[in-house]
Amino acid sequence: MSKAKKLSRRKFLVRGGLGTVGVLALGTYVFRNPIRRSILKMVETLPPSYMGSGTEANLWFELTQENKVIFHSPKVEMGQGSFTSFAQMIADEMDVRLDQIEVVGAATKTGIVDVLSTGGSLSVGSLWQPLRELAATMREMLKIEAAKKLSVEVSSLTTNDGVISNGLKTITYAEVAYGITEWNIPDTPELKPLSSYKFIGKPVKRIDLASKVFGDPIFGLDAEMPEMLHAAIIRPSKIGATFNSADTSKAAQMPGVVKVVQIDDWVAVVAESYAQALAAKRTIKVEWNILKEWTEKEMREMLRVGKGRLMITQKEGDAIDEEDDELVSMIFTSPIGAHAQIEPNGALADYNNGDITVVLSTQVPGKTQEFVADALGVDKDKVNIIPAYLGGGFGRRLNTNHAIQTVQLSKAVGKPVKYIFTRKEEFQNDLFRPPTHHIMKGKLGSDGLIDSLEHHYASGDVAIGAIILPGLLNDVLGTDIGAMRGGNIMYDKIPNHRAEQWHTTLPFATSWWRSLGLLANTFAVESFIDELALKAGKNPVELRLAQISKEGNQKRIYDVIQLAAEKGNYNDTPMNGRAMGFAASTDSNSPAAHVVEVSIENNQIKVHKVICAFDCGFVVNPDQVRAQCEGAIIMGMSASMFEKMTIEDGELTPTIYGPYDMALMKHAPKTIDVHFIQGADIPLPVGEPPMGPIGAAVANAVRRLTGKRLTDLPLKL
Amino acid sequence: MKKSIFLYSLVLILISGAVVASNYGDDVYDSNLIAPIKKSKKDPHENYNKMMDVIMSPRCINCHPNDHVPKQADDGHPHYFGIARGENNHGFQAINCATCHQNTNNDYSGVPGAPEWSLAPAEMFWEGLSRKEIAESMMDPVRNGGRTAEETMHHLTEHELVLWAWQPGIKADGTPREIPPVPLDEYKKAVKAWIANGAVIPEN
Amino acid sequence: MKIEFTINGVLQSVEIEDSNTPLLWVVRDVLNLKGTKFGCGKAACGACTLHVDDEAVRSCSYAVKFAEGKQITTIEGLGSPQDPHPVQQAWIEEVVPQCGYCQPGFMMATAALLNKKPNPSDEDIDNNIVNVCRCATYYRMRKAIHRAAELTQETNLKTQENV
Repeated sequence: MSKAKKLSRRKFLVRGGLGTVGVLALGTYVFRNPIRRSILKMVETLPPSYMGSGTEANLWFELTQENKVIFHSPKVEMGQGSFTSFAQMIADEMDVRLDQIEVVGAATKTGIVDVLSTGGSLSVGSLWQPLRELAATMREMLKIEAAKKLSVEVSSLTTNDGVISNGLKTITYAEVAYGITEWNIPDTPELKPLSSYKFIGKPVKRIDLASKVFGDPIFGLDAEMPEMLHAAIIRPSKIGATFNSADTSKAAQMPGVVKVVQIDDWVAVVAESYAQALAAKRTIKVEWNILKEWTEKEMREMLRVGKGRLMITQKEGDAIDEEDDELVSMIFTSPIGAHAQIEPNGALADYNNGDITVVLSTQVPGKTQEFVADALGVDKDKVNIIPAYLGGGFGRRLNTNHAIQTVQLSKAVGKPVKYIFTRKEEFQNDLFRPPTHHIMKGKLGSDGLIDSLEHHYASGDVAIGAIILPGLLNDVLGTDIGAMRGGNIMYDKIPNHRAEQWHTTLPFATSWWRSLGLLANTFAVESFIDELALKAGKNPVELRLAQISKEGNQKRIYDVIQLAAEKGNYNDTPMNGRAMGFAASTDSNSPAAHVVEVSIENNQIKVHKVICAFDCGFVVNPDQVRAQCEGAIIMGMSASMFEKMTIEDGELTPTIYGPYDMALMKHAPKTIDVHFIQGADIPLPVGEPPMGPIGAAVANAVRRLTGKRLTDLPLKL
Repeated sequence: MKKSIFLYSLVLILISGAVVASNYGDDVYDSNLIAPIKKSKKDPHENYNKMMDVIMSPRCINCHPNDHVPKQADDGHPHYFGIARGENNHGFQAINCATCHQNTNNDYSGVPGAPEWSLAPAEMFWEGLSRKEIAESMMDPVRNGGRTAEETMHHLTEHELVLWAWQPGIKADGTPREIPPVPLDEYKKAVKAWIANGAVIPEN
Repeated sequence: MKIEFTINGVLQSVEIEDSNTPLLWVVRDVLNLKGTKFGCGKAACGACTLHVDDEAVRSCSYAVKFAEGKQITTIEGLGSPQDPHPVQQAWIEEVVPQCGYCQPGFMMATAALLNKKPNPSDEDIDNNIVNVCRCATYYRMRKAIHRAAELTQETNLKTQENV
């Protein structure tokens, strides 16, 4: 009760007690390379931290007359199930049932949004402490007011299912809140012990399940406003094309067209319906300036080890002598990857005398607010970004600056405008997963263990150039921390090991794609280790276990490797036309290992079974963590076995599902078993880490079955 | 001085090197596509050759596959998403021709359509056969659905699904689909004349 | 042009200038049923799947003129929280959706499959369910399809007992 602050109004506004330590704060200490490397190591193993704008008196919780709690989430829901985990935390600390909680994405005008983004698999981990503290504080606030209303002592009150009672008298949370304009905010109460939680740690059903099964209009593209018009914007197909001029004479005459808008270097049609906007768009002829027609070959030549900016991200012991007769070396590559999320990008915007409202699917409501305000020349507090449920994120929506164009169109026509990308535009204007090129070098010692291991890798931008990270960070750290994910060698007992990153900015945008560098880096490193195991005549699991410490954080990696091998009954000898493959990785402090079982059918790789061991610390919702593992494994298979963008005639292609080959129902393994190890007492990242090992695990199985080492993604026989 | 001239010319080269390309945005439909008409001198099998030039085109072969899998586009790749013949030449129970293909082409989606969109029955496969083998198969009642010569002519010249080949619409990327190499009226005349003249299939 | 059809049991009449407008946009923007999704507009992803006379149709590639006089069902008409369709019930039991955007299309495709093939094999599922799910929820979806088949059979048995 000490330090009680008076805050006004019905908004329940709880703040304080938020940790804001994050990777950005580290930059200032970093000057020299050896220090940089230790910082990079820290970045990889830091606990998730919340980066919210927690100093403003904004809306966290609302209580409705029906005695429901509405939580305004600083993080968005894109399928990862974090809204459900937030509800679990609130339910347990606020003493309400799950069905008494609604979670919505916080709008920038009224709520607290994460200043960085929703991404990095950090949502649940970063709100783990602050959200439970807020919920507990809220519960105590309600008790303080209830005591007054019931004329009893606070200490005599208990709470359950949103009702406060002293055994004789009861009052609901909603009844307590009614009419109160000033609240006393107590010191943050002590949290309940983990063992007493009724929802946290239990496999509860997603709270958005019914909405998603019965077709509720919850996604960005489902939003409506009165008198809304529809827009199509023309975007270039060729890499590097810039706008020259447009002939829009026919479009203006097309049915339903309200206005053809040309602003700076882009053209759009605004019409009464989206179909009309598309039909009119077809009649517009744009002349593009194309300085250069890029080819796949040129791009590949730019992107290779030895070209671009070098950063040694890991350095233990000596470098391998290039003249050494025992040196083994292999080259691996991965292609350009598309996000291909099923809900196209778009936005619904209303410009009303300088007041701006945008509803859209975004991972960066805060950044979108800043960029829209800058572009339209209005104060930030005039811009309300309302994040909807995302029809897939995967990193694609870490830049949603098309919101700016949509607002400009609304301003031009004086009505709300909804804009939607076509699928071709999605494929050609994506912020792709960069292609990579890897040279692995290794040497066995006389004991048959790995004596030296080096990972040299080249990548396009991931973190560098991204709107959510200041350029400063990359200059300070000297490396692309996104491309680095999974790039370092985790086998600390290899006497000499190092990782060297070569960074190149490519002529088309590349950026975040679920798990960033992890998928390709792990493919290269873990495939090569399998090859070294074959050369050494050793079981690849035993070799791995022999080269990793059983202490500290490394023990967690050791344990998942051991558990996956045990649960998957890993055997390195093919049997009955099937072979097993093994691989492991650690990403954002969550190690994962997979055992896969494959056969070859009609000259295609068939994955029958995946057994996964995963340590993501404390598991808040086992059902949804399992779902994330299943999804990450199949999406990882899709990226490793099927997907590939290429450059043809200066364009990125293909531009439609089908030609952009992806895993379908028939490719999904019939068995996916996930086994958890709890190697930490806090929730650690979930959504991305289990993607890491899948490509290498499949390639290693194919190697053992066919003798053929596949070194390029997607894996083709 | 020399230096500035050099810079000036460099700029000029850059500008002149810039290609100005055009693009119709997302969906393009160029209806002015006209097939080349071949002039040949007194080919004794002119009618047969014109007909077979059409029949060998992907617009025809793609729906007469030899492996129960419809083919797509000018490269004749297998239909995406594992679409196959099914039990009745119309695909599977919940993903069949009519799930995506209607009675007309769809310019919004680029999905082609015509009445009776389906695969030719399995015995009528043409994919992988020579011109001569296809012609023989076409005239063989065992492999042509029991058609008489007259009925075959009708299928080849009147069936709306066949005639669709000359109005194949636009592809998913918005560009026009290729049409057969012989104009429709010329093709029709050639087929009729070939049948009327005894449907002679030359050795080569 | 005036076009009349029944959608989710309700007779609707829409006035539309371009009768080639994809049914998808009429359903979403004129009739304001947002459960049917736009994913690719090229009949490739299946997010826009609905039923026309009980057959699965990809509505982004279906001109609204063809809907004249037809019976259309969308996810909103398949079932409700009070009375879920067996496919929806199975989807809830198996907790299939992640982001959820593609799921109505998958459920409509599955319901169409079960109409024709009440007890589909894994091979039937592989052949028929070829929509695209980027979250890759296929593993649970397969379980849910088998579960939906069981639920359909249970429902049919109950109906027979009642008769």
